[in-house]
Amino acid sequence: MSIPGPVSPAVLSLRGVSKAFGAVQALRDVTVDCRAGEIHALVGENGSGKSTLLGIASGFVSPDEGIVEIGGARLPRDSPALARRLGLGIAYQDYSHVLGLSVAENLYLALPAEDRPSYRRMHAWAADTLQGFDLDIAVTAPTDSLSLAERQLLEVVKALLTHPKVLLLDEPTTALGPDAVDHLHALVLEQARAGAGIVYVTHRLPEVLGVADRVTVLRDGVGQGTFEIASVSEESLVALMIGRPLEVAFPERRAPHADADVLLSVSGLHGERFGPIDLAVRKGEILGIAGAEGNGQVQFLRALAGVEHAAGSATCDGAALDTSSPLGPLRAGVVLLSGDRRSEALFPVLSVRANATVQVLRRLARVGVVGRRRERTAMEELVRRLRVRMASAEQPIQSLSGGNQQKVSLMRPFLRGDVKVILAEEPTQGVDVGARFDIYEALRAKADEGVATVVKSSDPIELAGLCDRVIVMSRGRIVEEIPHGELGERRIVEAIVGSRARPATGEGAPA
Amino acid sequence: MKRSLLPPVLMTVLIVALGAYSEARHSEFLGNLNLNSLLLEAMPLILVSLGQASALLVGGFDVSVAALMTTCVVTASYTMTPSMSGFALVPGALAVVGVGLATGVFNAFLIRVLRLPSIVATLGTLSILEGVSLLLRSYPAGPINSDATTALNSSVSFVPLAFIGVVALAVLADRWLYRTRTGLALRAVGLDATSSRRLGMPTGRTILLAFVVCSVMAAIAGFYLAAEVQIGSPIIGNQALESIAAAVLGGASLAGGRGSFFGTLLAALFLTEIDNVLPLFQQPTEYADMAIGALILLALVLYQAPDLIARARTARRRVQPLPAKAFDLGSSSTN
Repeated sequence: MSIPGPVSPAVLSLRGVSKAFGAVQALRDVTVDCRAGEIHALVGENGSGKSTLLGIASGFVSPDEGIVEIGGARLPRDSPALARRLGLGIAYQDYSHVLGLSVAENLYLALPAEDRPSYRRMHAWAADTLQGFDLDIAVTAPTDSLSLAERQLLEVVKALLTHPKVLLLDEPTTALGPDAVDHLHALVLEQARAGAGIVYVTHRLPEVLGVADRVTVLRDGVGQGTFEIASVSEESLVALMIGRPLEVAFPERRAPHADADVLLSVSGLHGERFGPIDLAVRKGEILGIAGAEGNGQVQFLRALAGVEHAAGSATCDGAALDTSSPLGPLRAGVVLLSGDRRSEALFPVLSVRANATVQVLRRLARVGVVGRRRERTAMEELVRRLRVRMASAEQPIQSLSGGNQQKVSLMRPFLRGDVKVILAEEPTQGVDVGARFDIYEALRAKADEGVATVVKSSDPIELAGLCDRVIVMSRGRIVEEIPHGELGERRIVEAIVGSRARPATGEGAPA
Repeated sequence: MKRSLLPPVLMTVLIVALGAYSEARHSEFLGNLNLNSLLLEAMPLILVSLGQASALLVGGFDVSVAALMTTCVVTASYTMTPSMSGFALVPGALAVVGVGLATGVFNAFLIRVLRLPSIVATLGTLSILEGVSLLLRSYPAGPINSDATTALNSSVSFVPLAFIGVVALAVLADRWLYRTRTGLALRAVGLDATSSRRLGMPTGRTILLAFVVCSVMAAIAGFYLAAEVQIGSPIIGNQALESIAAAVLGGASLAGGRGSFFGTLLAALFLTEIDNVLPLFQQPTEYADMAIGALILLALVLYQAPDLIARARTARRRVQPLPAKAFDLGSSSTN
């Protein structure tokens, strides 16, 4: 049902592209084109081939078959340098920052060599550039000191610096709060108005429906068609992505027990970027933490897990929680699902099996030797239950899609059995709709078993749909608590905006 | 003090301190003759360490450099014989540089095309080159042209011309590395090859060049080794680990992307000075080895001192009751 649009030339055209990684066929005969001046959304579940498609378009991955044309010229081989020269800009989902260098140096390297000012003028130029994009980031700061939101905006700025004919954005808003998203969309619209073609990959359908002109859906590496945005709805897109209409996006909540025992209790906890915080989470409750990025939510969560230093007191199930190292909370049954899957939650090169069972090997072992079959059996049931999509339990976990990786890290609290508190940091970041539901369902199932859960999320819809109660943090403190009865996307966003409107004291979130 | 200044300053202090101590014990240390021989003695290690620093900058190692230096000396014993003179020596010298160039390209091929880790790849090259050297000269033989060796050793007062040359080279190389676009690009490739490739930088070419530079520097170091031994000996070069030590003492990071050529030069000079002064004290060389090891560890600890101090402070804070406001934990947060 592709409708021929106005006659504007294709700035990016992928024709008959196929790619296999080992036994997995990531893409099969996919054809997409992006016209000048349009915002072209690319949606699909995790593992549907979106990132591979972008990798091929940007010259980072070589296709097995098919043709890539940028600005009408064919990309002769896989070379990011060539693709850039032909007019392609890309903001990678996992960024292209050199973390050991400063912000200015990173911006400088992102410029095409012929556009670079003299090295001496680098800092002044970088400061001007960031100001031009309304970003308040110190240019001399080392890139690794930036928040994830700042890194994400910087990545987009870097892609824009090349004045691309076609701009590829891979999940550009995962770490951004609502008004940073608006800021980004304004930038993107401006580019499109100036005649660039934008390919916008995201999991956040409402966001992309608001700005895109056309949308292409991928499922299991196969194109499901390209549509004018006016002809689709969120429901119809989801149906195409997962192949069935998704009626319920969140698992059923049981009536909240106001009189259930308090499992996790925090009093006067304070750390570098948050506090003091007082809080109680009951058995079976899922508590959400909302707030604009960079307001101490992550640090608070990590402090509870003993990963970040803090002072004050916390108790779990009545016993004092020793948060001076991760060991104390782990022993007490407090499990952190880190949002930084690659470097904290998983061992990327180890197998799916090893990643799932690493915390419970003692339980699976007899006289010190782990029984492979016991390990398998314990895992297989969870693979089914959480609907993990993988070729084999022995494949390295880094070869799974983001959503499936997250499911595997969720297996750990399931396998342990004695978990009392789950601290989930952005549990569905970079995870598609279908897998999201599986993760929500898993968290809710654990809650129903009596686990107290704290979810930090930058997605208000997720918080409203999943949680029993939501607290809103601003500048390290709880500024509002939204009870079950009032939960809703609008209410949460309003609370965040409200708390941010108060006079600033510390460093705020990025623009 | 700026962190990048620590290695050169520390090395200078150590060189001067050891020199002063030696002079106090043996007045001949600061004599022109000894200083001249010290600087000449340092030339092979300085040159090969500068090369090693470039390999370290792109995150690699080259352990084949010492074997390459030996191969170059052995080659020179065939191509730069005493019977030649004047311009007849040029092709012979180019042949030696050619051996270095070929080795560098071979190493780069193993690392970039066959994707072998550099330490393993160059270990293979090391064995091959050792075999080649022994094949060419199974025992020390073949004197090397003395016109050439004399020219290499020519000095103004006690300072060899070549030493002035490498100092200028190291200073220029540092300026290039930290004050230019291409220098920045090289550091970026060393720090993060994936991001660099994504940004359209020629990562493959950069790494190839770094290893070729390393090998060519080792070949040039071979000339100075030849000037020292003056004969085609198949069993002389042992500077592989010392060159890595010098680069690290000079401020290079084993993870790539950081380093200083001038610091490396000073460190190589210092390591040679230790070797040089020990005979003055009639100490066996075992002490030199132990001293070098201890100093490397000490220097590395010192270079990391800012991090260590921050960590220690954090640990102490954790024990004490905390004031609610002034709460500074350094850079441990990830968000």
